[in-house]
Amino acid sequence: MLQTFKDIIDILSVPTISFTFLTVAFPFIFPPSDWFEKVHRKLGIWRLWTKPGFYGGMIAITGFFVIGYFDPNFHITLTKADNFPIVLMVYSMFITIWWSMYQAYENDARLEKGLKPMEYNDPDDKVLVWPDLVYIEFIALILFMVFLIVWSILVAAPLEEPANPASTPNPSKAPWYFLGLQEMLVYFDPWIAGIVFPMFIIIGMMAIPYMDVNKKGDGYYSFKERRIGMFIFMYGWLVLWLFLIVIGTFFRGPNWNFFGPFEFWDPHKVVPLNNVNLSEYVWVKLLGQGMPANILLRESIGFLALVGYMGFLPILLAKTWLKNYFQEIGPVRYTFLMMFGLSMLALPIKMYMRWLFNLKYIIAIPEWFFNI
Amino acid sequence: MFKNDERYWNIHQLNKWFAISSVLFVAAFVWMFIDDNDDEYKVYQRNFRQLEIQMAEAELAEELEIVKSERIDYEAKVQKAQAHLDAQTSLADSLQNRLIFLKGVFYKDNMNFQGQKSQIDALKYLVERDNTHETDHGKDHSAENRKIYDDANALLHEYKLKKETTETDIADTESLINAINQESKHASDELNKVLRDVLLVENKLAKIDRERMSFMNKMGDLVRDLPILDFMNPYYKVKQYVIRDIKYNVNFTQVPSVDRCTSCHLGMTNPDFIDAEQPYRTHPNLDTYLSPASSHPVEEFGCTGCHAGRDRGTSFVSAVHMPDSEEEKVEWEEKYDWEQMHHWLKPMLPSKYTEASCFKCHQNEAYIKDADQLTLGLSLIEKSGCNGCHLIQRYDSRRKAGPDLAKIAEKLDKGWTIKWIESPRSFRHNTRMPHFFEQDNNSSPEMRKRNETEILTMVDYLFADGKEASTKNDHRFMGDAVNGETLFNAVGCRGCHIVEPNMNNMSDEISIESILKDHGPNLIGLGSKGSAEWIYNWIKNPSEYWSETRMPNLRLSDQEAKDITAYLRSFTNPEFEAISHKNIDEIDRDELENIAFGWLSKMNSEAYAKMQLAKMDHEETMGYVADKSFRYYGCFGCHNIPGYEDAKPIGTELTFEGSKPVDKLDFGYIHDLDHVNYAWFTRKLGNPRIFDHGKESPAEDKLRMPNFNFSPKEVDALVTAILSFNEDEVSETMLADHYIKDALVYEGRKLIKEYNCQGCHIIDDFGGQIVDVIGATEFSPPNLNTQGRKTQPDWLFKFFNDPTTIRPNLQVRMPSFDMEDEEWNSIIRSFQFGDNQLLAYETDHIVAMNAKLKAGKKLASTDFGACNNCHFYGSTFPIQDAQAWAPNLAMAKDRLRADWIVDWLKDPMVIMPGTKMPAPFLPTSDLFEEENANAIYGNALISLDGDSTAMLEGIRDFIWNMKGQKDITSIVKKYFDENGYKFGEEESDDEEDEWGDDDW
Repeated sequence: MLQTFKDIIDILSVPTISFTFLTVAFPFIFPPSDWFEKVHRKLGIWRLWTKPGFYGGMIAITGFFVIGYFDPNFHITLTKADNFPIVLMVYSMFITIWWSMYQAYENDARLEKGLKPMEYNDPDDKVLVWPDLVYIEFIALILFMVFLIVWSILVAAPLEEPANPASTPNPSKAPWYFLGLQEMLVYFDPWIAGIVFPMFIIIGMMAIPYMDVNKKGDGYYSFKERRIGMFIFMYGWLVLWLFLIVIGTFFRGPNWNFFGPFEFWDPHKVVPLNNVNLSEYVWVKLLGQGMPANILLRESIGFLALVGYMGFLPILLAKTWLKNYFQEIGPVRYTFLMMFGLSMLALPIKMYMRWLFNLKYIIAIPEWFFNI
Repeated sequence: MFKNDERYWNIHQLNKWFAISSVLFVAAFVWMFIDDNDDEYKVYQRNFRQLEIQMAEAELAEELEIVKSERIDYEAKVQKAQAHLDAQTSLADSLQNRLIFLKGVFYKDNMNFQGQKSQIDALKYLVERDNTHETDHGKDHSAENRKIYDDANALLHEYKLKKETTETDIADTESLINAINQESKHASDELNKVLRDVLLVENKLAKIDRERMSFMNKMGDLVRDLPILDFMNPYYKVKQYVIRDIKYNVNFTQVPSVDRCTSCHLGMTNPDFIDAEQPYRTHPNLDTYLSPASSHPVEEFGCTGCHAGRDRGTSFVSAVHMPDSEEEKVEWEEKYDWEQMHHWLKPMLPSKYTEASCFKCHQNEAYIKDADQLTLGLSLIEKSGCNGCHLIQRYDSRRKAGPDLAKIAEKLDKGWTIKWIESPRSFRHNTRMPHFFEQDNNSSPEMRKRNETEILTMVDYLFADGKEASTKNDHRFMGDAVNGETLFNAVGCRGCHIVEPNMNNMSDEISIESILKDHGPNLIGLGSKGSAEWIYNWIKNPSEYWSETRMPNLRLSDQEAKDITAYLRSFTNPEFEAISHKNIDEIDRDELENIAFGWLSKMNSEAYAKMQLAKMDHEETMGYVADKSFRYYGCFGCHNIPGYEDAKPIGTELTFEGSKPVDKLDFGYIHDLDHVNYAWFTRKLGNPRIFDHGKESPAEDKLRMPNFNFSPKEVDALVTAILSFNEDEVSETMLADHYIKDALVYEGRKLIKEYNCQGCHIIDDFGGQIVDVIGATEFSPPNLNTQGRKTQPDWLFKFFNDPTTIRPNLQVRMPSFDMEDEEWNSIIRSFQFGDNQLLAYETDHIVAMNAKLKAGKKLASTDFGACNNCHFYGSTFPIQDAQAWAPNLAMAKDRLRADWIVDWLKDPMVIMPGTKMPAPFLPTSDLFEEENANAIYGNALISLDGDSTAMLEGIRDFIWNMKGQKDITSIVKKYFDENGYKFGEEESDDEEDEWGDDDW
């Protein structure tokens, strides 16, 4: 019975399934439109953001870890000192997101009734920095110090042997906070996954206040008033970042192969790496001929696709589906929004293209170390 | 007062939170301190301190027991003196008071004197200035100054007298006081002398036992180990040795090892703790290790240089201790929460492999002293030919381990060879030839078919000209088997060979001694192998068939060779003969083509492979498959095979195998194995194909290391040797050969081992196992102790090249070895080095015609020594029977070194234990006072006045002067040809008595 459960979990946690499931389920959890909202209500998913939902979530997470703890295979990954922060992260992320969503839903209900949000205070009613802010910060600081000290006493630092260029650990894992990036490296060239995307993430987050000028929700929790923004951000944060960290930590074993949480990390496991570039698809498979000698000609399809995706698609959208929105925020904001948004969207797109078509690179010019 | 309602938060609530969090913080902080200071080694040090106290207390009790009776007397004396002293208290007090008063007076007097003295120095300057400059700015003060100076001097003198008087008074008073105390002091001095050892122990105890400390010391002892304050001089601290010459390799840099082992192993260098429990126990071999007088003092060698492990570790787990066995592992897990710190790349060597570290510095030695397991492992590598396939740079193969196959057609027939290759052990149960076939990964029907075909092609190649040995001429080369057996046991064959058909009679205990016995093959089943003709020719002159063989020539006569051949041919192996096999012309041609195609298509396209195969006729295909098979199995690693003289060895290089990271070893699908290299090596050597288990590899890619059927003990020895091939670096000066610059010495020792000299001779107190066969030391090859200073090097060289009879009573022969001059030189040099006798040329000893010589002659005569009882004097036979015969003394001048003869005569048993040679009778001077001394001893002997050295030198000179035939080989041979050897059985008790006569 338990074994069947474990087997099911192992199968479900394969990235193709779990990622698809999360992506499909995501708009029903953070509904970005009325239709999704309707289903969200109908299916009772909104209860996740109520107190029973909290208890349920906590029990589910804890139950999973408890079962994992007593599983000989998951035990090894779970109890590694390196992975302790991930366990903390899973809890803290659930608690903080639940807490904010819980308050947002309360506020949404109040706003619907025409009441002010819970956080509302008279603008003249000021609060002193000392002691009201600094005091609690100080207490939080002390408690956090206590936590860090106790942690450092109980769990020894996971130091390893001196680095040896002739012998790298298998799997070689980045520090936990970079495991999301490392997971992206499976699908992208290092210069994109390691340089462009992190840069876009940082710049993009700095740009959010300039692109999203919706004043609603300032100073109080609210979901409904900015549901599209919340949906996009949450998808990026939870699915494209945290979820990838969890995969990198618990599900990536020797040779960076995927293993379900209850699977044995067998170093002999081999997964075929027979991915094909877009240019090969077109020239060889479709047109049945050899690859053109001219690199640019060879990769022209990829360039066309890229230009189409990053260049024409925004224009097309501005003329059709996002016409109103484009007029509302103007061309500059729209351009940046599209640049960051489409880049973010490129990650799941590329993942699916890999899974569905074994697509290696859209543009593959290894001669110039330029692959997309 | 603040108004609480101005606050957003309830400040009382916050204060409470602050209080709680502060308390938690303090608690965490204290916990951190405790955790930080609660090191494992401190626990051990505290326990050790208790142990030391216990031991010191026991010692104290012991010492007190020793002085128990004496002590009472002396204590009584002290008491009496004290009583006497007490009676004079008032006098002593007044004297004491007076002394205090006088010291006060002296203080004042001395002040006056010193003050005046400094005044004088200033005045002296003025006077001296006046003396030279005459004027002070035109005014002349000289007379005035002079007067002041003189007055001051007079006053100084006065002060001086006063001071000296007081000094005298003080001295007097002090001597009075001393006189009163004298008796008491003397008594207590005497008591202290008696109690000296007791006090030493008490002092030691006072330093370590808190109970015995004064209050202040107790506080100090407590405070010195408090956190933070313990930076100054704590009692409990990490103890370490920094070893600059032994480095730890951290990939990018070399770090000196810092051995902290003694932080817990506290009794390591102290012999008192030999019975203490671990970790306090004394090192088991302080004579060789750790102690300052040993060859490996701890300050220079540390601990991890030999034991490996984490040098800086200060707890059981962090030092990376490794268990010796599964049981120990379980015990440690319970006792110490042990787990392997697998991130440390050099875990401690389990104690059974510790000898592996000796090789770091002693890599050039044939026998590494006190490291029998390592020596055995290295010997097995050489004997089994491991380094024929696996390159080991610091232990390179010196020769091919197996016989030369160039002329195999003369020796063997094809059928035998086919069966032998397939399964050597079914012919010879203890052969060193390993099993390639019928192993874990090649015993499926398909693989058997393939292997059978491969074997046929290889045999076909080896017997290229179609000839093979036949038994049709056997009768011409076989003599008397019974006599052959006697000869086989007597002439020295058993120095290197055994004949043991029954494997159950073999001893399991393999050791460096036991492998001396079967240096050559176990000579069984030879009646079922090859031909008598070949055996006859081989034993007559081995190097004719195989120029590089180590088998020497025993100079057998034709008849002797025939007899031995007959004896060896008498052992047959019917089971082996009964094994059926395919003949070469019955080879499975389809399989042959399959194999050929497999190899061809491995490198080429299939079309090309097919084309190539089609081009080959049957013979070429046979040759092609044979070539691929030789190269696949690496036969040329051990055998000389024509055409493969320059073939590269096929195995993994093992030069640094001991340092290979564990993840570079393929554990395959074998999971019930600890992830440590020695566990892998052990499993691999036990079953070389084990890691193919469950793998789907094509035939060409399967593991091919053959199975040597090593016993567990051999495996342990080999694993020790493999672990010794590592990357650990020690500085040049630590290498053992740094101190012996002469490479010939090492080469000689290696040759001695390679040619199994120790099978017959005891050299460096090792070897001589043939005595077990011969039964008596006096009929066995001589012990070669002191050989380096015994014989003249040029004689030895000649002897090696052409052995002559030295000991006529031996039936066993010194064989003729086919060695080069350099090799003999190396052997001679190693003998010389061993006896610290490094001269190649020496001045001849000149015998002076004096009383000494005459005395010597007398001592050797039948009146006394009667040397000619046993020794040949040139061609003159000894008086005694053949079994008592001893070397020809006429040869001594050429053969021996003059100094050595004197040493030898002094006490032959010291140099050659078990010799029948008695020490000569040397009269002492008191004997000369007898009445007829002159008649008995003669003037010359009496003139030496009992000087034993002079007498021994006299005997030496007598021998030195002896004339006559030197080489008695032919006359001795003639004698035995006529009379035969009838030793052993004749040796009766009567004769023993004759020899044991103590009146000598």
